[in-house]
Amino acid sequence: MAGCQPDGSSRSLIFAVAQAPVNLDPRFATDAASERINRLIYQRLVEFDASSHEVPGLATWQMLDALHYRFQLTQSAVFHDGKSLTAADVKATYESLLQLKNSPHTAEFRHIEHISTPDAKTIDFALSHPDPHFAARLMVGILPAHLIANGHDFGHQPVGSGPFKLDHWQAELQLKRLSDGLTVRFEEVKDPNVRVLKLKRGEADLIQGDLPPELVKYLQKQSNVTVNTGIGANYSYLGLNVQADFLRDVRVRRAIAHAIDTRAIIDKVMVSHSRQANAILPPEHYAGNAALEPYAYQPALARQLLQSAGVKLPLTLIYKTSTDPQRVRLATILQAQMQEAGIDLQIKSLDWGTFFADVQKGNFQIYGLTWVGIKTPEIYSKVFASSSLPPQGFNRGRYQDPVLDQLLRKEDWPAVTSRLHSELPVIPLWYEGQFAAYRNTIVSYRPMPDGNWDGLTKVVFNPAAN
Amino acid sequence: MIKRFATLLPVVFGVLCLTFALLHLVPGDPVDVMLGESASAADRTALKAQLGLDQPLLVQFGQYVMHLLQGDFGASIHTQTPISQLLWQAYPATLLLAIVALAIGLSIGVPLGIWSALKAGHWQDVLITMLSIRLAAMPAFWLGPVLMLVFAVWLGWFPVSGMTSHVAIVLPALTLGLGLSAILTRMTRTSLLEVLNEDYIRTARAKGLSERQVLLKHALRAALLPLVTIVGLQMGSLLAGAVITETIFSWNGIGRLLVDSIEKRDYPVTQACVLVVAFSYVLINQATDMVYRWLDPRTRAA
Repeated sequence: MAGCQPDGSSRSLIFAVAQAPVNLDPRFATDAASERINRLIYQRLVEFDASSHEVPGLATWQMLDALHYRFQLTQSAVFHDGKSLTAADVKATYESLLQLKNSPHTAEFRHIEHISTPDAKTIDFALSHPDPHFAARLMVGILPAHLIANGHDFGHQPVGSGPFKLDHWQAELQLKRLSDGLTVRFEEVKDPNVRVLKLKRGEADLIQGDLPPELVKYLQKQSNVTVNTGIGANYSYLGLNVQADFLRDVRVRRAIAHAIDTRAIIDKVMVSHSRQANAILPPEHYAGNAALEPYAYQPALARQLLQSAGVKLPLTLIYKTSTDPQRVRLATILQAQMQEAGIDLQIKSLDWGTFFADVQKGNFQIYGLTWVGIKTPEIYSKVFASSSLPPQGFNRGRYQDPVLDQLLRKEDWPAVTSRLHSELPVIPLWYEGQFAAYRNTIVSYRPMPDGNWDGLTKVVFNPAAN
Repeated sequence: MIKRFATLLPVVFGVLCLTFALLHLVPGDPVDVMLGESASAADRTALKAQLGLDQPLLVQFGQYVMHLLQGDFGASIHTQTPISQLLWQAYPATLLLAIVALAIGLSIGVPLGIWSALKAGHWQDVLITMLSIRLAAMPAFWLGPVLMLVFAVWLGWFPVSGMTSHVAIVLPALTLGLGLSAILTRMTRTSLLEVLNEDYIRTARAKGLSERQVLLKHALRAALLPLVTIVGLQMGSLLAGAVITETIFSWNGIGRLLVDSIEKRDYPVTQACVLVVAFSYVLINQATDMVYRWLDPRTRAA
């Protein structure tokens, strides 16, 4: 049986993670670890297929009219405490979310006016204004209504209907797989070198992502470790403050794009399966655009563009990034490459909180970040629409373009992505490849493009190794 | 004694003011952290009111102090866990690590320092000096992984990191203790050499006492006095949480809690950690002072 040693005793699969989950209540969780674990504990009304189309999760749906959606539960799901999941639980989950004052997810559902449940399988949502992407928003894990009513602490004692349930959470979180009783312990190990040493020593069975490429290469040489890589969908980019001097000129923005040799960076310092990016959503996404060509590395052309824009070389630009060593290393590479093009990139490495606060406030010229787990093309409006300036949205670079606004309203994604590619309010870099490294004590684990941990639903201990 | 502790009050009050100011000086506020970028202004205002952040600063400070006096540090922004619970979990781990590290530092540093002083100028002294200077120069972020590689991965004697077994403390304590031992070796050597040149040691020798008696009865007590100050200061730093060591060894102490809370902008936790650390520092310094007075009668009148 999975998880059993030859002597019959079971042991936990130990997953060494860079960051432990913070809050397992899906109405509050925002950190990547909590969201990834919540995918295992809870089920959602809607899921996404490989090309990111919404597909039925717990329910199918139909749009009755622009303001009314009807969801029909199709799966007979059962909560970990034995109660069946019904329409009342869905209603209670979303109603309780709307009543919260301190949840980062409430704003997304403010337009829900009313939720009704004509029968135990049917949920009707009435909206205050039309929202064609409403179904894709319903990604919140469904909680049991009777526990919501009791004010249950889902953050620390999650109860869902997903394939894993909480085993215990003292110092470390341990989940149990319902299908076969396999337990998975999530051990927080912040230092990447230590994660690798723990894997090598057998104190961890599995690690995923968050390693510098040389450590991945080191692991690939170890005989008792398997490294699985796959494409990633998380989009790394350089954000530009288009209200800052010079950066408002598209020629300068194009010059920056031509001053970066993304191909070389991907080949030399990133894990395999990393790809050059042209838009937030990757080409395999239904709103992706495979026709876009990356900006070629042409420092001479970049110089020409800068000079034609009236910039006196070298152009000094301040690049803000976090203190993450891999981020700082990439910054130094960008700095060296841009020098060729007459750009003097000055790196300011700030602690995460200060860095992110600066980004949100528009207190930057250039910054580097990654969008993680983006599924719907609505992101283009949230990031680039003139109406999405913070705090109304994520238009951190304060980009305002009436032509783009019109295309966004029409949801003409090929035209939107082409316009963004030509106007460059942000410089696309890459989708970093995903990888997981595991000891040969386990088999059948694959990393997912957005870095989630759904592979845990399939992983088993290797009978040959145990 | 009471008078002595009364003098601490202004220090503690100063720390309280500083930790409170921390919340209002750093960029961003808890509402931003909790609600993210896309929340409406109305939601922000409502949460601000709920958290009492719309009150005048003085009122907020008064409430903060009142809560603290009742032992209420508040709750973590992200997990809603009471902070006193987090501190109760983290502080004993840090205390244990500090004590073991200090014990390692003392048990290596003092004997080596004495030996080095007694063999001053000989090859043993040169060797110990070389070793201790090298040890003192090794940063924890380098020494820690090297100890892990040798003793955990190659030899398999200890776990790489975590708090899962009793022996798990050895490597983090060594990482801290070895550096400390190097400082103590140097201090003991210098101090003992100074004392050995004093007139009263010459007198003791002239009386015909054995070298062992001279060392144990007369020289060491005086020579170890400056060490009390060093040990007190080091203990203070160790209780402040050996941030790097605790992080790389996944040791759930105050240092790790502090760094974690700063990274996540969990202001109330950061405040509480700083307060506890500062208070520990003050208490340890006070205790050091008292031990010093007890050991050295000359300082009592001062």
